Amino acid sequence: MLLREWKLKEIVLMSILGVVFAFIYLGFYFFGQGLRNALMPFGLAPFGYELIFGIWFIVSIVAAYIIRKKGAAFWSELIAGTVQVLVGSPAGPQLIISAAIQGLGAEAAFAATKWKNYSLWVLVAAGMSAALFSYAWGWFQSGLAALPAGLIIATLLVRLASGALLAGVLGKWISDQLAKTGVLRGYALGKVKQNGRIRKAS
Amino acid sequence: MDVSAKHHKPPVIELKHVSFSYEEEAPLLHDISLRFDAGECCLIGGASGSGKSTLALIMNGLYPEAVEGTMKGEVRLHGRPLSSYDKGEAAQHIGVLFQDPESQFCMIKVEDELAFVLENIAVPREEMDNKIAGVLQETGMSDFRHRAIHELSGGQKQKIALASVLLLDPEVLIVDEPAANLDPASGQELVQLIGRIRRTRGCTVLIIEHQADRWLPLLDRAVFLAAGKVMLDGCPDTLYQTKRALLKQEGIHLPFRYDPVPPRKPDPHGEEVIFDVRELTVSKRTKTIIQHLSFSLHRGEMLAIAGENGSGKTTLLQAAAGLVPLKTGQIMLKDKTLEQMGEQEFRQRTGFVFQNPEHQFITDTVEEELLFGPELAGRKDAGQWMEKLLERFRLNNHRHHNPFMLSGGQKRRLSAAVMLGEVSDVLFLDEPTFGQDAASSDDLMNMIDELRKEGTAIVMITHDMMLVDRYCHRVLVMKDGEAAFDGEPGELWKQRDLLHSCSLMQPEEEAVTG
Amino acid sequence: MTASLNPALKAVTVLIPGILLSFSFDIFTPLVFLLFIIGYTIFFSGVPLKKWLMFFLPFMILAAGFAWMSMLYASGSFAEGRTLFTVWRFDVTTGSVAVGISLALRSLCFGALSLLFILTTDSTKFMLSLMQQFKLPPSITYGVLAGYRFLPLFRHEFQLLRQAQRVRGAGRAKGIKAKILQFRRYAVPLMANAIRRAERTANAMESKGFTGSYERTHYHHMQITAKDWSFFGMVNGALLITFAVSYYLGYLSIFGYQAGS
Repeated sequence: MLLREWKLKEIVLMSILGVVFAFIYLGFYFFGQGLRNALMPFGLAPFGYELIFGIWFIVSIVAAYIIRKKGAAFWSELIAGTVQVLVGSPAGPQLIISAAIQGLGAEAAFAATKWKNYSLWVLVAAGMSAALFSYAWGWFQSGLAALPAGLIIATLLVRLASGALLAGVLGKWISDQLAKTGVLRGYALGKVKQNGRIRKAS
Repeated sequence: MDVSAKHHKPPVIELKHVSFSYEEEAPLLHDISLRFDAGECCLIGGASGSGKSTLALIMNGLYPEAVEGTMKGEVRLHGRPLSSYDKGEAAQHIGVLFQDPESQFCMIKVEDELAFVLENIAVPREEMDNKIAGVLQETGMSDFRHRAIHELSGGQKQKIALASVLLLDPEVLIVDEPAANLDPASGQELVQLIGRIRRTRGCTVLIIEHQADRWLPLLDRAVFLAAGKVMLDGCPDTLYQTKRALLKQEGIHLPFRYDPVPPRKPDPHGEEVIFDVRELTVSKRTKTIIQHLSFSLHRGEMLAIAGENGSGKTTLLQAAAGLVPLKTGQIMLKDKTLEQMGEQEFRQRTGFVFQNPEHQFITDTVEEELLFGPELAGRKDAGQWMEKLLERFRLNNHRHHNPFMLSGGQKRRLSAAVMLGEVSDVLFLDEPTFGQDAASSDDLMNMIDELRKEGTAIVMITHDMMLVDRYCHRVLVMKDGEAAFDGEPGELWKQRDLLHSCSLMQPEEEAVTG
Repeated sequence: MTASLNPALKAVTVLIPGILLSFSFDIFTPLVFLLFIIGYTIFFSGVPLKKWLMFFLPFMILAAGFAWMSMLYASGSFAEGRTLFTVWRFDVTTGSVAVGISLALRSLCFGALSLLFILTTDSTKFMLSLMQQFKLPPSITYGVLAGYRFLPLFRHEFQLLRQAQRVRGAGRAKGIKAKILQFRRYAVPLMANAIRRAERTANAMESKGFTGSYERTHYHHMQITAKDWSFFGMVNGALLITFAVSYYLGYLSIFGYQAGS
């Protein structure tokens, strides 16, 4: 995907976001493991990861929402995936592929608006689209096919909701909080906020 | 009059009516015209916010492209507009060494970072080895070629950053407060290195700096900026002697030589011992970081902790504040140990100001920050208390601002303010003046001293021996996890060998008067 | 020595079995391949056995958990056979035990492949070879490396943040809202600093003549040689042979459907 219109500082920012979230992701991997074990006695273990699955798409939302350029969602997720592998994620090199697929999912939603619209609904849609793509991939990759039909539908719904909330809504919220600190002045989101303030003030 | 007739050689770099502003904001630089000749060494001074760092990036060709800013006028390099050079080419003629040692690199190893620069300018691979070895020798860093950059000290990092700039063989070297984040000894070393490089390479050196003291021997010329304009341009010695009032009025720090501060000693402290730590030992994994350290504090006493990086200063401060697990030792506040008192009460009666104030901010506005503590403690007069703190720390005009949006000095003041309970017994500070300009350091120290007078005991880590001399009753010098000295500052200045072995620098006023 | 192989091609080499194994649901196929990878790692990769075991152990624990869960939840087409025992309200059948073991072995294969890569690969060289062999844009390559460099800083900063917040009495959070606010208290300062650093680093890189162009020389000249292709051929050849043998012996199962039946 094209990076020609990008400034170097945007690429470095995206990469650093990828690295930061790689660590958050790794933390959640173990948290998910725990959650699954905790839900085991209730017969809900397969939902352990599904509940928090959305967190794995958040960097796409954050990067795209802040930088607002083609490819931000895809590359940031891919970088986060690769970094997790490099620091030794138990999930293995396949993670690079699942990251690429999730990133594509989120990117697809932004592409549908021609990378023009970054409202809450588009961000939520991007989170859900990433969830859908990742579910399709998980179908082959992690043996989701081995689950009974009812459970498949239920887990898919939970994952979609998680993508909408933990990636879409939470991603927007955290980026907005960040914009308040003024450090995003030199990026698309910071400028949008600043112009908003100026308009409000005048 | 034809300007060029006066100069035999054309200037290396010339700014013609340069103005710069960020989108929809007041201009940061306004109609600046300057010319620098080959081999010149010029100070570019000005208070924080005067636009001097922006000027560096404009001369280097990075701005306005890298930011959303508009620039008028032009910069000429060897008489040719900078904009006519290819992308990346201007950077080869004009190298910049930046302030922050942590964010100038993109590679893990020293060797790879230097190679990165050579790759950028497409140096053939066969020539790289010699060039890397050569520049490491020039900067005295040959032993570090295969080390990881993140393991180096701040001073060493800056030397590697300088080495990588030198690989471009620049005609103009711009250094932007390169020693501001270093301890004085490493800062001094870097300044000497830059002086040596200037002599051997004969390049033009532009020094962007707030505090010019240690650069004085290098300077041929000084330019002072104020409100985005060139305020003064001339011989540094003349300017500092004849324009004192104007410089001071613009918030520009005068070197000690031109503006000696009268010596100052803190007034005596109280008799009552309010804080006492005994036999503190801390180890991480198998390594002992500090061992058997004890000290006590009286009411209204100020203690400095000094020593080289890695000597255990920070761990000692954190251990004394009960922030790291102790292997042995006991912490007493008044007549109770930390365990007897409980963490909650201990935190209410002590405060800790971290080096980076941002770490301590947890809310959206200055007001909320100041309300957080008192409300947590369930105080009914939290609002009044907040007003008092706003007043005292001069944050009144910023009460609705986001803490992250404040200036460096304001952030520091806020982080000290949020730490003060009504009856704060002890205040711990980790390098409170680090990376601050002189005006805001003085400001903060005066506020801390006010607290001290009211009876709070102060413990602070600092590299600044001038501060130690002027404000502290005692200084504890750390070396390899043990106390190498604990006594009055005046006594420490007499022990030259100890000062040297702990990389401490005697304050200038002592050197002058003693 | 696996460490001297081209990292980018090595990554592809271990990725392919990672994907193809995902299709098999029998025990034989992943078991044979796992034995091959472990054998190769121990005898030929140059990774010290003790170090390898230390890393592999957690994978085994994870795999055991994975197997247990799959046994309980396997669906109809997989859960045939007679019921062996019942846990609470789950019937564990011979079919589901087989699927569980298969999934566990498969995840061990992923783990072993992963370790073979990580323990023999320098991350800087991996990125450089992605750029040199697979035409990854230099700006992404060096951007990621710059980000990677910040890792030790983040760790240090995170510890400081924890202490700083403790000092302010903002300790443990209870309830979802408090948890989210706590997440923010960590994320915002960490990210704000990261963003400032990103900007400064980008400035420093451009000041050193970096333009993001592909026209650059390479200090570490990465290349793909016959040695790399033979490693590729060996690992993936072994996988093909495993699939073939498994097929002839009638074990191979793709998505639960016995191949060839």
